[in-house]
Amino acid sequence: MKALALGILAALILLAAPGSQALAAEASEAPGAKPLAVGTAFPDVPLIGPVSPELAENLGISQNGPTPIAKIKAEVLIVEIFSMYCPFCQRDAPTVNELAALIDKRGLADRVKIIGIGAGNSDTEVDIFRKKFKVPFALFSDATFAVHSAVGQVGTPYYYVLKKTPQGFTIVAAHLGLIHSPADFLKDVTAKAGL
Amino acid sequence: MRRIATLPAVVAVLAALALAAPAPAPAAAPLPPGLAANIFEVPHLPPTDSNLAVAVGSPMPDFDLPTVTGGRVKLSDYLGKKNLVISFVPAAWTPVCSGQWPGYNIAQDIFEENDAALVGITVDNIPTLYAWTRQMGDLWFPVASDFWPHGSLAQKLGILRSDGVSERALFLVDKKGVIRFIDVHDINARPDLGPLLEAMAKVQAEK
Repeated sequence: MKALALGILAALILLAAPGSQALAAEASEAPGAKPLAVGTAFPDVPLIGPVSPELAENLGISQNGPTPIAKIKAEVLIVEIFSMYCPFCQRDAPTVNELAALIDKRGLADRVKIIGIGAGNSDTEVDIFRKKFKVPFALFSDATFAVHSAVGQVGTPYYYVLKKTPQGFTIVAAHLGLIHSPADFLKDVTAKAGL
Repeated sequence: MRRIATLPAVVAVLAALALAAPAPAPAAAPLPPGLAANIFEVPHLPPTDSNLAVAVGSPMPDFDLPTVTGGRVKLSDYLGKKNLVISFVPAAWTPVCSGQWPGYNIAQDIFEENDAALVGITVDNIPTLYAWTRQMGDLWFPVASDFWPHGSLAQKLGILRSDGVSERALFLVDKKGVIRFIDVHDINARPDLGPLLEAMAKVQAEK
């Protein structure tokens, strides 16, 4: 019995390990996903609007783009790769909105910013998602999956946490699937970005 | 005895290792919950493989098809009452189709604002569609089978392919039964909702 208990414990530990199916169970999968490694440069992908004049000004980009992501004015940038069609992204949307509110509340809004990129979504589809979930941050369309392909064909939702360097953005953290606690997620972001 | 006692532990660890291993390459689009393991990977197919038999302005052919909930769906259910969007997808348990219909859930409000109903149809049989739609999660629209006589509605519309599945196609039918929008899409890709929503809004604006 003791051996069986140890075996079950080992099984639970393995299932909880990063990258396991247990984690992927809260995300829609994508073909041949190869997430970009932490510590590497984030590709200077183009952002395609439209975004509101306020959000464009806040990010330091044009309203319609395409704008290279490196142009965004942020010390730390959280990039959510989502899809309007992904049920997990739909479920996670209110939590990400809470994360945005928390960043504001903690006085980090000028330093930490969030954007979303709709993998395979047209402007219309992104707009449906924006309105349905009252998303307060900028969402960009990626109708041809070009950005999705450049960032590793990740499952959705996928979060890259980027830090600005003189060369552009570098990945300091990544997360697949739902964000259960905005506070814990932000704590992790600030720790890994050295804020 | 010692070896026998540790056997369940070894089995448990091996099972955990198998579950923790990276998933096999999944399908072509982000998938809804629980579907990945059951999805059949379809090879790239010719974008279209049929000859459309109707046009914008044509009357919608009549139909009367069984649904996964045990009822039937008929054109006459909607005539004079609702605009009707018919979404044909090629096959159950395939990647693009498994992403397309659950995605329509988020747009339900827009369909309702445009006084439009949505019906999903494939040429699969009812038991297959029943299992598939249960696994996809709740869909707000009826799902009907054009399985027997095989693809009879698809054939009337001219969207039955030579391999026996239907095209990935959208039809918007107004309350008078007239087809107002057709999109026979590349079977390998999900159609953008934008053009359909524009067409629905245009028809609705005429009321």
